[in-house]
Amino acid sequence: MAPLLEVNDLRTQIKLREGVVHAVDGVSFQLEPGETLGIVGESGCGKTMTALSIMNLLPTGGHIAGGSIKLNGQELTTLSDEQMRNIRGNEIGMIFQDPLTSLNPTMTVGKQIAEAVALHREVSREQAMDRAAEVLDLVGIPRVRERIKEYPHQFSGGMRQRVMIAMALACEPKLLIADEPTTALDVTIQKQILELIDDLRIRLGMSVILVTHDLGVIAGRADRVAVMYAGRISETTDTDTLFNRPRHPYTEALFQALPDKAADAGERLYSIPGLPPDLVNPPAGCRFAARCRYAVDRCRAEEPQLVSEVAGHEFRCFYPVGPSERTDTGRLATYNAAPAEAALAGPGIGDVLLDVSHLVKDYAVTKGAVLQRRVGWLSAVADVNFTIRSGETFGLVGESGCGKSTIGKLVVGLEKPTSGSISFEGKDLAKSSAREYRRERRNIQLMFQDSYASLDPRMRAGTLLREPLVIQRLGSKQEQLKKVAEMLDKVGLPRTAADRYPHEFSGGQRQRLGFARALMLQPELIVADEPVSALDVSIQAQVLNMMKELQHDLGLTYLFISHDLGVVRYLSDKIGVMYLGKLVEVGPAEEVYLRPAHPYTKGLLDSAPVADPGAEKAKVSEGVTGELPSAIHPPSGCRFRTRCPFAQAICADVEPPVQRFAGEGHLAACHFPLQTALGDAVTASAALPE
Amino acid sequence: MTGYLIRRLLQTIVVTVIVTIITFLLLHLVPGGEVRAILGVRASPVEVRTYSKEWGFDQPLYVQYGKWLWQMLHGNFGFDLKQNAPVSTLIWAALPRTIVLAFIGTGVGLLIGIPLGILQAVRRHSVADNVLTGIAFVGYGSPTFLVGLLLVQWFAVNLHIFPPFAPQATSIGGILSDPVALILPVATYAFVAYALWSRYMRSSVMDNIVQDYVRTARSKGASERRVLWGHIFRNSLISIVTLLGLQLPVIIGGAIFIEVVFNYPGMGLLFYDAALNTDIQLMLAITVLTTLITILGNLLADIGYAMLDPRVRYA
Repeated sequence: MAPLLEVNDLRTQIKLREGVVHAVDGVSFQLEPGETLGIVGESGCGKTMTALSIMNLLPTGGHIAGGSIKLNGQELTTLSDEQMRNIRGNEIGMIFQDPLTSLNPTMTVGKQIAEAVALHREVSREQAMDRAAEVLDLVGIPRVRERIKEYPHQFSGGMRQRVMIAMALACEPKLLIADEPTTALDVTIQKQILELIDDLRIRLGMSVILVTHDLGVIAGRADRVAVMYAGRISETTDTDTLFNRPRHPYTEALFQALPDKAADAGERLYSIPGLPPDLVNPPAGCRFAARCRYAVDRCRAEEPQLVSEVAGHEFRCFYPVGPSERTDTGRLATYNAAPAEAALAGPGIGDVLLDVSHLVKDYAVTKGAVLQRRVGWLSAVADVNFTIRSGETFGLVGESGCGKSTIGKLVVGLEKPTSGSISFEGKDLAKSSAREYRRERRNIQLMFQDSYASLDPRMRAGTLLREPLVIQRLGSKQEQLKKVAEMLDKVGLPRTAADRYPHEFSGGQRQRLGFARALMLQPELIVADEPVSALDVSIQAQVLNMMKELQHDLGLTYLFISHDLGVVRYLSDKIGVMYLGKLVEVGPAEEVYLRPAHPYTKGLLDSAPVADPGAEKAKVSEGVTGELPSAIHPPSGCRFRTRCPFAQAICADVEPPVQRFAGEGHLAACHFPLQTALGDAVTASAALPE
Repeated sequence: MTGYLIRRLLQTIVVTVIVTIITFLLLHLVPGGEVRAILGVRASPVEVRTYSKEWGFDQPLYVQYGKWLWQMLHGNFGFDLKQNAPVSTLIWAALPRTIVLAFIGTGVGLLIGIPLGILQAVRRHSVADNVLTGIAFVGYGSPTFLVGLLLVQWFAVNLHIFPPFAPQATSIGGILSDPVALILPVATYAFVAYALWSRYMRSSVMDNIVQDYVRTARSKGASERRVLWGHIFRNSLISIVTLLGLQLPVIIGGAIFIEVVFNYPGMGLLFYDAALNTDIQLMLAITVLTTLITILGNLLADIGYAMLDPRVRYA
């Protein structure tokens, strides 16, 4: 069969003031009809630029400098604008990362889809709208006739991405390019969307290029994978081979940086040192050489070509890793022994440091601009109980909108609880006076997700780090400056960094800076709200390792909030799973992961993609269906019942009691748990239905 | 929407009362008191006292304010002693003239400014963009009266193409029947308006042109023309309509120097004369009117915003 798409030696350049960025530098691949190709790599590696080159939708200053792109034998790079417009949306459809900003906010979804139809088919306005309704139905939008007249902001994130898919597929293209289609979505919705794309690919007989940074997403969905690094493909082969027998040191390093795999052994993550090279002046020799642990002089002088030992597996390396498919002698074995010594002994776990009891936070929902009438309550946190012992890491997971960040804010004191108590070292923070509170705050510090937005852009790093000391009037100026310097050492930043502004740091360095700021007052408890979500895998590993090391060295306690189950599992001793304001399950990390008692926990675990093609294919569960209900009128009884496969009449009537399960402190609130309960929880009051 | 409008109406009343109180107090601070402002510096103390008693200026301020408010609510804006006419008669004669000038001027300014702003945004940093930016900055930075005087110098005094003054007719029909005389004042107005709106439109389009939804539209195969008019245009207009509403008092008030330069008897000239003559009743009335126009402009901006942007709904 002739390939559907042939990309040959594609070179894409972007002219910037600083020079010409060689964003895509000699990329070649083929795509068969009906096939899914995964393009994976870290930010700035050229994967999105490759996708945009195929569509010829490059940003200002970007142009294809060389190479060829053939769709069904037709050369695309030489087409006129008008001819290319005929291809876009007709032969190739594309969906983007953020479905909210990618849709026109002032146009109904129906019109936006109908526009795509009208551009390529000789149809009347009514026919185009009919086709729009048809594809909206195809992508699983309920009540199409009503929703077709609605605007994008009236849809949820998952539904918006379905609208995007409908738009891309309205003209039944032969190729769908999905650029990070699920990065902005929750895992449960991510699974639904990926399944939809897969299903449509088969039904419509199209090919898919799936561009993502997430190895887990690739594992379950792609037939073949191309790993990109610094504008080039560093390795390409079928999915199984890539995940089981990677040959390029970069691919190997990416896998070792994943927290999912390291969690079992509790070992230190492998982190790729340094940053990807500058693509304005790409380095001579192998582009990965500077960050490669196996690099020798030849790698830095001479550029390796894509070679293959067996057909269909190409990599760009002189000294490939892993068992060679020919000789069966590789270096992975010798490497694996190395990190064992780096594994950290668990820090000593002490007494209860934080005791959250019957915590409730309701936000008033108001109406009217002048007289703010209260029309209801948004139940953000509803009767949550948990304890954290000193030296422990408590991971809080759940979908966005489940109330996990609100708990973080309540613990740090940025919000006041509606009722319930938060005891820190035996003192109830909610009842303490403002003055006591400020003093107590020293011991509880917050680490933010977006360190770029949370650091004052006009303050130098040194000033930022000193500020907490100045506010709390701790020490003389000299002492404060000395502490700043020591802290920079601790988080692995050079002392000269104190004179730099936040924008002069890379993402990973900025997150180190954010962490250093949180540590300045020598707190006992750090509330880390999605601290690594914005980072690439290799950088994420650096930050996680640092957090683990400093926990050990300084005896820190973490309340770690994240939507990423792999990261939470890697770092946490105990895990709490939240759903719509309720803590539905809590227990030791391994217990919760391996033997979840609550159907929601199980569904969440099944939804999360794992970087293992075998495990992904073996999955039969559909994860969690449907979408998160509104917290303004949460479902009666068990809040999860509307999405639960086991829900019965009792779930709607009676709020499930908290019960004990096998494993120390393993509690869950469910009428029909996935394992036999050992009896009601000790805190019997928590079980009483309201 | 109805509930929203009712609430806005209530807000309008409160704001207007507050503004009138402040204006009332400020205007009673004129040097020598308002009676002297009316009778002149040569009036004897006896005359001042008699006059004060006769017209109620000896009463406490809140009584005076209450009376004034009560009369105003009945449509009586007071009697202008300087021009010997009821204030309302003077205003109703002047207001339509200003509206004609301001709306034609703004309209022409928008008709030129919006397309040029779009053009500049689409071809940003081109020669055309840079030249137009230069012209717009000149218009933006020049005082209106200077522009007016220069136009009079060139086109009226030197070239004798247009008359140096605006139509002097009293009715709107009369003004419109003398379009040649209207050209210079309108051109002055339009030039300043063009400079403003072309800048706003340029930056609004530039904000939108980089949005993700524009890329989506292109990915559907839409032509650049379609992307611009079908997607970017409406989104860019959202901020323009908002600004237009907020500019309404400036649009009305902006005519003041043009009216003085071209001797055009509109609201601007009326206020200018009132200020020169310390004409308190007239100034009070104009202030109330400007307050109402400002609030109306805000309301129109909000309504226009809600009409263009489906994400905004007032309840």
